[in-house]
Amino acid sequence: MLILLLIILPLFGAAMLAAWSGADRTRSCRFALGWSVLPLACVAFIGTQDKINGVMAEAPPLTWIPDAKMDLRFSIDGISWLFLLLTCLVTLFSFASSLASGRGGRAYCGLILVLQSALFGVFTARHFIPWFLCWEMTLIPSYLLIRLWGGHGAPRAALRFFIMTLGGSAFMLVGFLALQLSVGTMDFSELAKLASDHALAGGLAKTFAATGMTGSALLTIVALAVFLGLAVKVPVVPFHAWLPAAYAEAPTPVTMLLTGLLSKMGVYGLLRIFLPIFPEVLPSLAPLLTGLAVATILLGAMAALAQTDLKRILAYSSVNHLGYCVMAIAASAAVHADRGALSAALSGTVLQAINHGVIASALFFGIGILESRSGGSRGLNDFGGLRAKTPVFCGVFGIAVFASLGLPGLSGFIGEFLMFNGVFALTPWAAAVSLIGLLLTAVFLLRMIRKIFHGPLKPNFAKWADLSGTERGWFALAMALIVIPGLWPQALLHFTNPVILNILDLLSPIP
Amino acid sequence: MQLMPEAVLVVTALVLLGMAVAYESKTLKPFPVNSAIGIATVGILLAIAALWCPPLKLNGDSSLIASDGLARLFKGLVLGLGLLAICIPPARREIPQIGEYYALMLFALTGLLLAAGTNHLLFLFVALELASLSLYLLAGFPRTAKASEASLKYFLFGGVSAAFMLFGMSFLYGFAHTAKLTEIATALAVGPPSALAIAGLLMVLVGLAFKMAAAPFHYWAPDVYQGAPATTVALVSAASKAVGMVVLVRLLLIGFHSAGGSASWGGMLPGWTIWLAILSAVSILFGNLLALAQTSMRRLLAYSAVANTGYLLVALAANGRDAAGSALFYVIVYGLATLGALAVTAAVERDRGNDSISSFAGLVKRSPFQAVSLLVFLTSLAGIPPLAGFFGKFAMFSTAMAATASGEKSGLAWLVGLGAIMSAVSLYYYLSVLKQAYVKDAAEDSVSSSAPCLPVFHALSVAIPAVLLVLLGLFPSILLAPISKAVIDSLGL
Amino acid sequence: MTPAWTILTAFAGALLVLLLPARSAAFSRVVALVASIAGALVAAVACLERLNHPDAPVWDLNLPWVPDLGINFHLAANGLSLTLLLLTGIVAIAGVLFSWNVSHRPRAFFAWFLTIIGGVYGVFLSRDAFLLFVCYEVVILPKYMLIAIWGSTNKEYGAMKLTMYSIGASALILIGIVVAYAAAGGKSFDLDYLAHATYAPSLQFWAFPILFLGFAVLAGMWPFHTWAPTGHVAAPTAASMLLAGVVMKLGAYGAMCVAMPLFPQGFMEWRMVIAGLAVVGIIYGALTALTQKDLKFVIGYSSVSHMGFILLGLAAANQWGLRGAALQMISHGIIAGLLFGIAGRVVYERTHTRDLTALQAFDLWKTLPGAAVAFTLATAASMGLPGFSGFVAEISVVIGLWNVYPWLTIPVAIGIIITGAFSLRAMIRAFFPERKSTDAPAEKMPPLTRPEISAIALLLVVSLAIGIYPKPWVVLIDDGLRSPLFQSILSLP
Repeated sequence: MLILLLIILPLFGAAMLAAWSGADRTRSCRFALGWSVLPLACVAFIGTQDKINGVMAEAPPLTWIPDAKMDLRFSIDGISWLFLLLTCLVTLFSFASSLASGRGGRAYCGLILVLQSALFGVFTARHFIPWFLCWEMTLIPSYLLIRLWGGHGAPRAALRFFIMTLGGSAFMLVGFLALQLSVGTMDFSELAKLASDHALAGGLAKTFAATGMTGSALLTIVALAVFLGLAVKVPVVPFHAWLPAAYAEAPTPVTMLLTGLLSKMGVYGLLRIFLPIFPEVLPSLAPLLTGLAVATILLGAMAALAQTDLKRILAYSSVNHLGYCVMAIAASAAVHADRGALSAALSGTVLQAINHGVIASALFFGIGILESRSGGSRGLNDFGGLRAKTPVFCGVFGIAVFASLGLPGLSGFIGEFLMFNGVFALTPWAAAVSLIGLLLTAVFLLRMIRKIFHGPLKPNFAKWADLSGTERGWFALAMALIVIPGLWPQALLHFTNPVILNILDLLSPIP
Repeated sequence: MQLMPEAVLVVTALVLLGMAVAYESKTLKPFPVNSAIGIATVGILLAIAALWCPPLKLNGDSSLIASDGLARLFKGLVLGLGLLAICIPPARREIPQIGEYYALMLFALTGLLLAAGTNHLLFLFVALELASLSLYLLAGFPRTAKASEASLKYFLFGGVSAAFMLFGMSFLYGFAHTAKLTEIATALAVGPPSALAIAGLLMVLVGLAFKMAAAPFHYWAPDVYQGAPATTVALVSAASKAVGMVVLVRLLLIGFHSAGGSASWGGMLPGWTIWLAILSAVSILFGNLLALAQTSMRRLLAYSAVANTGYLLVALAANGRDAAGSALFYVIVYGLATLGALAVTAAVERDRGNDSISSFAGLVKRSPFQAVSLLVFLTSLAGIPPLAGFFGKFAMFSTAMAATASGEKSGLAWLVGLGAIMSAVSLYYYLSVLKQAYVKDAAEDSVSSSAPCLPVFHALSVAIPAVLLVLLGLFPSILLAPISKAVIDSLGL
Repeated sequence: MTPAWTILTAFAGALLVLLLPARSAAFSRVVALVASIAGALVAAVACLERLNHPDAPVWDLNLPWVPDLGINFHLAANGLSLTLLLLTGIVAIAGVLFSWNVSHRPRAFFAWFLTIIGGVYGVFLSRDAFLLFVCYEVVILPKYMLIAIWGSTNKEYGAMKLTMYSIGASALILIGIVVAYAAAGGKSFDLDYLAHATYAPSLQFWAFPILFLGFAVLAGMWPFHTWAPTGHVAAPTAASMLLAGVVMKLGAYGAMCVAMPLFPQGFMEWRMVIAGLAVVGIIYGALTALTQKDLKFVIGYSSVSHMGFILLGLAAANQWGLRGAALQMISHGIIAGLLFGIAGRVVYERTHTRDLTALQAFDLWKTLPGAAVAFTLATAASMGLPGFSGFVAEISVVIGLWNVYPWLTIPVAIGIIITGAFSLRAMIRAFFPERKSTDAPAEKMPPLTRPEISAIALLLVVSLAIGIYPKPWVVLIDDGLRSPLFQSILSLP
């Protein structure tokens, strides 16, 4: 029941906002900010629950359509829990940033809450139907948030985002429908079990006999369809076309949600759904996936290097960072060998996803502050010498940037370290090539710091004051979330390890 | 006492004539319409009451004046329709000789009653001619060119049809050596009908088709409907058609039941059902298609009469007892609807000066009572539930099918299908009238924003049919059950 | 509480509205609202009872009506009927709310409106072919009146076209029912009786398409759909909602619960044709919607496309297919109501245009943000986005279709994609135009009124409720599918 409560809580808040006709921008945003503490408390409470078979909480299954094995099943295990926590935190940051930059309004805050609810669903669903429902339910709020509160290019950006994501998920839907028609279930764990029994390909071959294709070919097609849907969301090159414009045009707090949470849906899906269901065909797909991942890393970094818009730089930086996750997942598909390496790669993926969410939120929070104080400018060359005026801001932003480029001791490091650790053992060439990406990341991030905070102070920023008390508070929270996992990764690994081991059992069953 | 109602009618007519003459010669003023209507009404009510006189037991032949269920029931129903028709008052200037007019109405009714209650061909002819001659005169009462044309056309066509009928009857007499329908049936049972009998029946049918305004023998109808006084038209369309149906049912189902053959698609057998089916199909097509093009309400009703004759013949062509019963049901319902529609038309004419469809514009604002009644009448004619017209058509079509189709045989499905589809087409022209009444606003130069109140009699002739149509639509068994009983009584099993 | 109260409340409401004194026009909408809510509540309570007692015998009311023809007043409510009743009630409430500001002859408006509702309830509850047909036809005239009197854009043409298609279709239904009645022995119109009779295969071969087509025309089957967009565009908002929302469902319901159970073998022969036409309809409707300039036309053609899914589900004729068809009936009922409500009432009343280009000048998402958000959600629902009712329905149909005609799923998928395209196009053009900063800012508009918001919220919540948790609806529909009517279909290969 806790899970359903968790999903309903934000919706209830949105409904209250809708009914509260007297709310102006600030009030509604304050209310939403306060309200989003409730799910956080709920998630924290779930975190204290004992794990039974790795599951911390489970919702009683609700039948969706009778007699068809279509149930609304939700449960929370370690990885889900981390993503839930991330969702709560990023939403909190997003509201805080909205409040700081004077955004808000009943519809705006309501839509963010709806989005949060859908994300809760995505990260807890254990059956394709509820998962897909929530997956698609994120679409409309995010479309509207980009479209209605975005910049000049928002109409096109929002539409492109909408159509590409929808197109991708259509493929995913077709893929899962094919599975439903051939093996009669869309339950993730049942499908994974069937997959480990090598029953999927046979089922597909029988049902689609008319196509004259072999089972594994069919399964490959299905896997690619599902991958496509997930890849658009991450995004993986070449399905990233929607991303720069959407990230840049969306209001900064929404960009925070997009990069901190929506892109994580893709990573989460690749890890929790794609990997366990398609191990049979993964070895043959691995080179392709790894190639795409490496391309994502390199192109993301190079594109970021070429940008002059701060938000676009961070957008491409996100592409680059999540590329590592895809690479790790692809690598773990490559061979059925070293459990240690696999475990490292996958744990790294989770940590990277979580930490990137927090770091990106902090960075965008900073961009939001720059943007609102400068009246909307966010060009790389618009600023300069701010360190003198805003030393605290410079410091925290710097820490976030260093965390982002993977400085040891900060949270960004452990994820990347674990991933490279695993990937070097599995597909060394990919790891080697993507090291270039790491380097480039350092280049563009440091250049950003330099351009903003160093150099001569531009005259129009002469009167800037440093962070306000509230802003300092938020940044303090962010810093804590960056530093603690960096120093004490076990806090996160404690949650991921049992689940990772489960996944590994499915991938390469112990003989 | 079988002829008691007829006798009452004749006496009333004579009384009315006498009083009118006396009044007019004394006061030099025309006899008041309301008095005439009042006297005629009393007469008809007395005649209806006289229906309850117990029939005398006659020795020997009873076919001349049958007192079977059909006769009793339909005498009552025809009297009722006649009463409603009489209640539609003619326009003041239309008819100068009120006394004669209403006396002739009563004579016409007498003829109709007699025709409804005989199984004897010769007596039938005499009765029909009594009715027809009165109707020719009734059509020509107004001294207008249109009325004269109507009367003349009616007379000429009617005369020709009478000649046909009489000629055919003589053939039938030659074939069976009797004019009694029951004995003709016996003669037919002996062997296949001779060419003489077939020719005779054909000619009688043609004669009756003229009277019933079945296409292609309908040419008199539009002119009569347009030119004659509304009261006459109401009698022609309602009462006389009802009697025509009774006559047809008697003639065909008592006399020629065994010579029916079959008009089923793919299973045709020679017999009169095929002729009726063809007549029916032609009437349905002609009536409906020509009605589409009308701009005069009365002509529209005339073509609708042709079409409705077609539907009635569908049921007769099934040559079955239930089908005949539902046709008799429908003819009453149709009569009520047309009569009511004519009554409303008469009211609109009085108000707006002509009967063009566009003069109905804005009726709902001028007189909601007339508009709602018109809605009931026209939708009943179009066959829209919950009105009786719908049930009537439905019953006719289903009984006609049930009598002819079974297993793989599609029976009269072709004709029923045609009827159903053309009935749908008919909604178009009925709706175009209703559109004027409900959707359009009256032209700017309209005389007044609300129509003058109708006289009581007139209002009753609108209200009673409307109420009856709703009632019979919701509870058709009220009428259908007695008719079925009467049909069984008259036709046997 | 028997489901028959739904019919009673609607007709009683209509009568009450008419009997109100002319001055109390504003009161009439309150009466209409109360009657609609009462009907919806009765339906909801009945649904809940059925859910709680799935094994209880189905509510059944069987009174003799016209014993001569074997017609009974037979009502019964299985789960399928109940869900559709509930749909009708919900759309009725929304329709009244969206018509809150009707000022032209409001009494007549709400009286006709409630008459349609009553007729629709009647169809969904009837278990007698005659009664079903009566209720089916009762709806026709009110449709005409609502469109012709209160409509917009070319209203008289649209109204007449829609009415003629409806009545023509019902002529076909009449033929089909009558044929079945006759072939089953001419004893009873009871649907259970008719469905259990055996019909010769050759008869089924020609009788099925007649009956099915009659219903399918009203369900907007390509190429007999052309009445739908014209009529829906011409209709006033509440009527568009009703027409697209529930009246089209009458056709689908009839095809599913009358045509197919009566002639299952005939259905088998024509199944492929139906599936083909349905797919063409899906794609044709979507492509045509893609090229429309009028927002309401977009929605009108989208209805054609969505109704194609229902027909497709029927053609699949297995558990998934029929279930999907029924779900799509409900889903489309809600969504079409929502779309028409927003486009026809919320937007049109304020902008007085529905032209997609002209609407750009109003910059609706800024001037009318509530409507923009609502329309976005409605568009998402119409596209079949997961979480909305359309998704459940379409996915069920596709799964059902897969088991019968797997290759047809490919064109259907293409149709779904085009549906997404035209929905987005219309939404963006109408509500989210790209405007240059040099354009003059659009003028302010009155915000959404309370009735509008309530209606939008009601429909959206229902669509989401079905989309997220369809189980109760599916359970009820499955309960309906267990009725003996469907056993002959569900056992088909």
